Amino acid sequence: MSIYRLFWIIFISAYSVVRSDDFKEEMYIKPLPPSHLYTYFQFITIVNHKSTEHSHLSPRSLGEVISRFKVDELHLTLTEGQWRHHQWGYPVLDAAPGAELYAWFATDVDDIDTQWRKLTSTLSGLFCASLNFIDNFNTVIPQMALWPTGAVKPIQNITSQLRYASLPREIVCTENLTPWKKLLPCESSRGFSALLNSRMIHNTKYHSIGVHVRKICANKDCTDTHLEIKQTVALVYDYKIINSMDWSFRKLFGQGLPGACTLSSASTIYVDVTTNSSHSFKLTPSPHRILQSQRGASETEFAVYDIHNNGEMINIGAKYDSKYSNNMTVIIPPPIYFNRYVLGYGKEFGGIVTELVNNYMTAIDVVLLENAPWWLPIQLSSLRVNGEANNKLVIAQYFSPGRNRQKPYHLELLIKLPPRSTTTVTIDFEFVFLKWQEYPPDANHGFYIGSALITANLPTAKQYSSLPISGSTFDSIINASKPWYPAVFRTNGAMVSLPTPDFSMPYNVICLACTVVALAFGPLHNICTKELILKPVGTPVSLTQKLMNLLKRKKD
Amino acid sequence: MYRSTFLCCTFIFIFFIHSNQGVEIPEKFQKSNHTNNWAVLVDTSRFWFNYRHVANVLSIYRSVKRLGIPDSQIILMISDDMACNPRNPRPATIFNNAHEQINVYGDDVEVDYRGYEVSVENFIRLLTGRVPPDTPRSKRLLTDEGSNILIYLTGHGGDGFLKFQDSEEVTSQELADALEQMWQKKRYNEIFFIIDTCQASSMYEKFYSPNILATASSLVGEDSLSHHVDSAIGVYIIDRYTYYVLEFLENVHPTSKRTMSEFLAVCPKSACLSTVGVRRDLFKRDPDKVPITDFFGSVRPVIITTEPINIIDIPKRKKTNTNKSATPEKHEYMPQFPMHLLQTTK
Repeated sequence: MSIYRLFWIIFISAYSVVRSDDFKEEMYIKPLPPSHLYTYFQFITIVNHKSTEHSHLSPRSLGEVISRFKVDELHLTLTEGQWRHHQWGYPVLDAAPGAELYAWFATDVDDIDTQWRKLTSTLSGLFCASLNFIDNFNTVIPQMALWPTGAVKPIQNITSQLRYASLPREIVCTENLTPWKKLLPCESSRGFSALLNSRMIHNTKYHSIGVHVRKICANKDCTDTHLEIKQTVALVYDYKIINSMDWSFRKLFGQGLPGACTLSSASTIYVDVTTNSSHSFKLTPSPHRILQSQRGASETEFAVYDIHNNGEMINIGAKYDSKYSNNMTVIIPPPIYFNRYVLGYGKEFGGIVTELVNNYMTAIDVVLLENAPWWLPIQLSSLRVNGEANNKLVIAQYFSPGRNRQKPYHLELLIKLPPRSTTTVTIDFEFVFLKWQEYPPDANHGFYIGSALITANLPTAKQYSSLPISGSTFDSIINASKPWYPAVFRTNGAMVSLPTPDFSMPYNVICLACTVVALAFGPLHNICTKELILKPVGTPVSLTQKLMNLLKRKKD
Repeated sequence: MYRSTFLCCTFIFIFFIHSNQGVEIPEKFQKSNHTNNWAVLVDTSRFWFNYRHVANVLSIYRSVKRLGIPDSQIILMISDDMACNPRNPRPATIFNNAHEQINVYGDDVEVDYRGYEVSVENFIRLLTGRVPPDTPRSKRLLTDEGSNILIYLTGHGGDGFLKFQDSEEVTSQELADALEQMWQKKRYNEIFFIIDTCQASSMYEKFYSPNILATASSLVGEDSLSHHVDSAIGVYIIDRYTYYVLEFLENVHPTSKRTMSEFLAVCPKSACLSTVGVRRDLFKRDPDKVPITDFFGSVRPVIITTEPINIIDIPKRKKTNTNKSATPEKHEYMPQFPMHLLQTTK
């Protein structure tokens, strides 16, 4: 027995020397007063980039996709619901409703469009999503809105390696969560992922799962890179659904946390307790430590739990002070927020309006990316910013007209939003008739337009909870003051109803026409082909006469 | 790694000892060409009021998965999202019963074709294997001449056709031709074809390829009926035929000795209110002697050897030539905003 144990110890120690990968799981909980609770999970696997195939922690299926298609950076999110920036502030990572996928390919990829199509269809099989519907006709190449978050070689034209597409109609359910969980080293048996019970997390106001792959610097000079695979889940619970303001893991996830994943090097829970001053609540069990963070001018306080794998069931919860439960809350909106809606009536013309509100005391630069499908042609000539065709707020613009069934319409504007103002960007579109077979089976449901992207360079970290670009774990936001806080937001999507024919019309026409033809043709045919002969009316003939007639006829 | 090798060695050693005593291979194993199992489960109807069809197809999915066919060998096609539909008061669940007895959707489900992907073209392409080159493995029917395939279809149909998504239909002749193509391409050993729709038996009448056993929930001229309404969701929750099939399959286990003829008699007219049709003439074996696990379970590929295999001697991998001499290139994080455009304007 002792020999066996010795062997085992040697084996484990050898193993830990060889291993170069690292897995961490983190959870961030933030109350969004007065009525919601934000829960964000991130599972980070860092792989020594040279050996993705020999990694013992990273998912092989994803690693193969990345090396086969030479993807430098990849972001995939599957989201149901709409993040309300105005009420909830900013999420750690924003996501568009439905499916959203964008990726940068390595510089030595020749035919990026083909590679992109192959990548989307492979990912569709991996995540049980209809990503194979991504094709050239709904892919754009953002010029200003998206930048790689990973460490890249400084090359001239990084945007030409990028492809972006979104499928706003995509549904998200357990069938997407199942393969997503299978990418984690502990799957759903241990660690934080054991909390992701599909019945509970789909009963939320907003849920989003994502996979983000990028390269991070391996050393200080950044001469080498590691691969970071980050899997995220963002959930927004409504207190009305969980029936009280007091929350606990049992209420949110249906069960307690069964300890950390054995393979993770750190499992940490951060609870944002900044709102404790206005909405007093008590955490049970009490946190292991409290972290203060000063980021720009905004102060945040985190209660931190370090979770170990000791077989203990952990049920963290908050109990609100009943004295304050009737407090009115004034929602302080974030520095910028936005709204998007469709204009017009009838089935000929319409317009998309994007309202951008700058609530801050200095001007903020944003990039707005509008991505209209080919069946919704937008004309640059109809672009109006605050009602003017040539507004001075627009610093730079990019427009790529679409082509029927081949390319979407793509507009990007770099706008300087004046302090404390609302800027309205309007663009008109016209409706297009689709071909008979191009209508989906439920054409009368309406057609979805994807979200617009808004990239902002925020001068303040108010309500900002994203990680700094060089950080990969959550503790990197502690005291991470920077001159600028970059963020990419998604507006709400929209829906239009295209002119849809009555699909039963041909059938009705055929039935009606056939009836009319039959009614008209029958009598006409009879009249034309049949001769009318008057039957002589005589005296009744006797039986012998009848027989004689019969014989006569036979003779003839 | 060493431990697993050690285990393997002991396993083979034990096997070797056993094989010395002589292993008798049962006769039926030698005769059968059956080596693997696949299932193609299709729900063809969209819209909330067709909730029951999704419940039907998930009932069969649950059963075949429980009886051992892995997810990689089940092609599940679901036309619409019922589980996470906003009208579903119990998100991420689909029940077979208003009393919420069995959540047929479960916690571990992989849908291969969903939504608009469920079309006649994709279904026929899947069966005949003529899929586009980039199709991922999970969306292909990678069967061979040893595969037993279970095909289950549910939706709205009529005499000689089955509607897909309320916008197109597959006819019985097209389906029969697709199966013949599969036979000629050696894509199956035996097929068990189940269809739960109105006038269902019209769909298998045109079949002419060998080794197909077919059953249908109703004969030509009959409607297949649904089982009961769940007042919480406001629509019918499951169809009669599949309801009784699930009830029967819940009592089947991978080791049980139930036969196909028991399965074919699962829903008498008193329960189904329609006559279950069966077509046996293309099937060579007697359904009385065919175990149900030939179609609903899974056969693991088993190779019986009498010779010991030496697996200690693993061929060494060829080292790939990585350019380690290349000078390390400097990487950097880029600004997340088009700063260069701003600076020029200032």
